[in-house]
Amino acid sequence: MPQDEPLLPDDVEDKRLMLLVAGGDDDALRLLVHRHHPRLVGYLRGEVGSLATAEELAMEVFIRLHRAANRWRPEAKLSTYLIHIARNLVLNEWRRRGRKPTTALDSTPEPGDQSQTSARRLNELDEAFQRAIAQLPAEQRTAILLVVQQELAYEDIAEIMDAPVSSVKTWIHRARARLRELLKDFYGPA
Amino acid sequence: MDNSDQSTFEQDLSAALSRKAAVVVPGFADRVVAVVQVKRRRANLIRWSSWITTAAAACLVTVFLTKEPSEESLIKQTRALLASDESAQFNEILGLADDLSVLAPVIEKSTLVDVLTSPGS
Repeated sequence: MPQDEPLLPDDVEDKRLMLLVAGGDDDALRLLVHRHHPRLVGYLRGEVGSLATAEELAMEVFIRLHRAANRWRPEAKLSTYLIHIARNLVLNEWRRRGRKPTTALDSTPEPGDQSQTSARRLNELDEAFQRAIAQLPAEQRTAILLVVQQELAYEDIAEIMDAPVSSVKTWIHRARARLRELLKDFYGPA
Repeated sequence: MDNSDQSTFEQDLSAALSRKAAVVVPGFADRVVAVVQVKRRRANLIRWSSWITTAAAACLVTVFLTKEPSEESLIKQTRALLASDESAQFNEILGLADDLSVLAPVIEKSTLVDVLTSPGS
């Protein structure tokens, strides 16, 4: 993120809350977690496949954020910083397990579906995509999740992944191609 | 894959991932705060334990140093003990007598009598 980019209101609020957290304000921490945990858990579930593991990792992310609150500098968006920590934890988790993320998925339909048929169709499609994404190489999976799911800019993804923007673009392009190949039963051959 | 398939694929990909983009976990923020508070209490406990241990050790060392007698005091105490101990004084006298007996010539009593009573003396 460029240094001279004006902060959005959310970023200003994040900065204010982080200062309070650094001062030991637990209510500010609660509010920060409340604001950021849904997208963080969503990203982590996309990475590891399991909601329980995603929650555990998200918990660790916020504990680390709290520990580093005094040292935190608002040069990047807090959401980007959180995902940066989360990705490092995901890499550690994979190393610890010695394998790739599970493909265990929650099959509960999302609330608000209009009919059982459409819910089943959506659920089927979601599962197919989640399984396909779980089969991607790590960099491709992270990159496609961050650009499509979290709607981050290439530059932010590059910062999170400690990689050049060109590599990020390559990973995203390859991820799309690989997903099309894995989902050829739904969309026909590429 | 034709363009419509490609477009459908992109839309479905985006929709499938977006539906999973945000997961609200009820009570998650409270759990995080609770864990942080437990960790903070534990850290405080460790900090205080460490401080108390250090302070107690410092007190022990101080007590030991202030109670240790000085060299001068030890000499005075030894002298007083010696002065009050009669057996030590007696030993001192005997020790001097022993030294004198060592210096005295060894003469047998019978030989001295013989010399004094001999006709030529």
